[in-house]
Amino acid sequence: MKKILSVLLVAAMVIAMGSVAFAAEDGKITIWTWDPNFNIASMKIGAEMYQKDHPDVEIEIQEVQSENIETAVAQAAVAGNLDTLPDIMLCQDNSFQKMVINYPEVYTDITDMYDFEGFGEAKAAYSTIEGRHYGIPFDAGTVVAAYRTDYLAEAGYTVADLTDITWTEFAEKAKEIKEKTGKPVFCTQAGSGDWILIMIQSCGASMFTEEGAVNLKDNEAIKAAITVYADLVKDGIILETNSWDEMIGTLANGSVCGTFNGCWILGSIMATADQSGKWDITNLPSLDGIEGATHYSNNGGSSWAITQGTDVDLAIDFMQLYRNVDFYDAILPTTSAIATFAPAKEAPNYTAVNEFMGTPVFATIVEYGMSVPSNITGAYYYDARNAMATAITNYINGADLDAELANAEDTVNFAMGF
Amino acid sequence: MSGSIFKERAKRFLMYAFLIVMSFISVFPLYWCFVSAFNTTQEVLGGKLVPGGHLMENIHNLMEQQQVFTALKNSFINTLLVVALSLTCCSIAGYGFEIYHDKWKDRVMGLLMLSMMVPFVALMVPMFQMFSAMGFLNKYIGFVLPSISTPFLIMLFRNNARTFPKEIIEAARVDGLNELQIFVRMFVPTMRPTYAAAATITFMNSWNSYLWPRVIMKTNESVTMPMLVANLTTGYIIDYGVVMAGVTICTLPTIIIFFFLQKSFTEAIAGSVK
Repeated sequence: MKKILSVLLVAAMVIAMGSVAFAAEDGKITIWTWDPNFNIASMKIGAEMYQKDHPDVEIEIQEVQSENIETAVAQAAVAGNLDTLPDIMLCQDNSFQKMVINYPEVYTDITDMYDFEGFGEAKAAYSTIEGRHYGIPFDAGTVVAAYRTDYLAEAGYTVADLTDITWTEFAEKAKEIKEKTGKPVFCTQAGSGDWILIMIQSCGASMFTEEGAVNLKDNEAIKAAITVYADLVKDGIILETNSWDEMIGTLANGSVCGTFNGCWILGSIMATADQSGKWDITNLPSLDGIEGATHYSNNGGSSWAITQGTDVDLAIDFMQLYRNVDFYDAILPTTSAIATFAPAKEAPNYTAVNEFMGTPVFATIVEYGMSVPSNITGAYYYDARNAMATAITNYINGADLDAELANAEDTVNFAMGF
Repeated sequence: MSGSIFKERAKRFLMYAFLIVMSFISVFPLYWCFVSAFNTTQEVLGGKLVPGGHLMENIHNLMEQQQVFTALKNSFINTLLVVALSLTCCSIAGYGFEIYHDKWKDRVMGLLMLSMMVPFVALMVPMFQMFSAMGFLNKYIGFVLPSISTPFLIMLFRNNARTFPKEIIEAARVDGLNELQIFVRMFVPTMRPTYAAAATITFMNSWNSYLWPRVIMKTNESVTMPMLVANLTTGYIIDYGVVMAGVTICTLPTIIIFFFLQKSFTEAIAGSVK
């Protein structure tokens, strides 16, 4: 019995040791990404384009959800078994720094292998750690304020009246729009914190300092943003829903005058065919009295990471597609994935007038994207976001803002181990 | 006299009213899910509660986006393997614990019960390490192996084996049956309701299993139905009609199995509580 047991143990060890290795260079590119209508569809078009010139290269695209990619990276790193990972994988921009900081052995430093000229500075910053690049930027999360032009007209406004304004000016106009149409102007999911993050990034502010320390309680941009948001909610200008689905529902059934989010929200708007010609976009209002305030921000989007020890050179060669204007032009009609690569705005599909909106909306978004100030996400972005969301909810319910933000800062510090 | 009839009727009325409300609460989500599979995403979001004419369109879009047949095939193979193997394994174990009962076996059983308290997430990383080292990723064996023996099923069989008359075993031994024959010819046929209940529970658990397959199934070819449904909600744009069509396809097998084995299921569960 003992003998059998020891043979089994040795066998298990041999198998385990043998597997601690990087994947072999097999001349095949494996890609992990999610969303068949967006990321996967884009990569499929890209793969076809690449294989025209490189017929020998096999490209395999696997559908894996973003949180599962993160779990798989963590498991592979902990188990020392990186050959379970693909060559290229997509990562949410807000998670990118967290993943690279926690699992540096997984991600390839591509600073000297890839040309980042032409990509939006704020976009590339999401996957940059201490000046080194780890990600190739993909889709834009550039924030747009989208309005129902028919509702605005009812209140005697046009989109131009809501362009290049401050939040104070917006609040005044929005009150009138709400009175005349009887509809809230915007809708958002309660307790998500997205809006505050959009507003503070529009000023180039972050929840963290450059040294990585949490920066909530003495952050003027955050205080200003929360005050603006809470006032709009109290005045009924912003409708808060309990779930994301409900929020999308308000757009579909026309119970709000517009939305304010990453440009990918346009996909849900354009899915409502009966509202064609009734929408237009503009930039977002800026925060009053905050240094560096702009009309541009970002929410969402993701970038491609290349894993270490796999077919890095081949993967980098394939990813040159993301510097190719024709690629962005080809993926736009089927996926609505908007580039963060500036030259793409000259592509025919970008400059063409969009049927639904009646303007060349995609070129406008790429241009907005180039003006977005960058921010710091770090390894504790989601902890800070959740803590701040709690503070916002409590403040709206009557708590003291300074105390709530101090509390949120303590919560994040605790998570960071301080 | 008439007063007591009235009382009886009022009681009955209240009971039915309560049951109707509770059944409505239980059935409504299923109804909504089935109906929504017939509607467009806009109609779903608008709260339409009657079926429309978009079922084929939703199914077509679902097939286009996802490998439904691969997922169905994988889910069926995984689930049937788990049901067959775990029923065999756990019924033998449960039988053994009860029929060849002694103090030490009771202690082992106690340990098994303790293991029910360890949450699966705590075991996930070491298990992933083991399974990837053994080359079980993306394979049926990776899915099946951890579910073959569960303390709950062993307990179910053990408790139900208590109701199995010991005299029959004695008589069978006298008649010359060996222990395996007693198990196969006497125990298994008598315990049919318990097997049905165990099969229902195991089928539902492994059909709906999500976390573990997510961890070990990494390719499109090894995707299971619950993973496929989850994939439908990850995009920037969610087509709710398609999601509901996917959920409906995923739910149907468990509903069918439950209806088939419902009677035995309630019998055995009630039996095990006694």
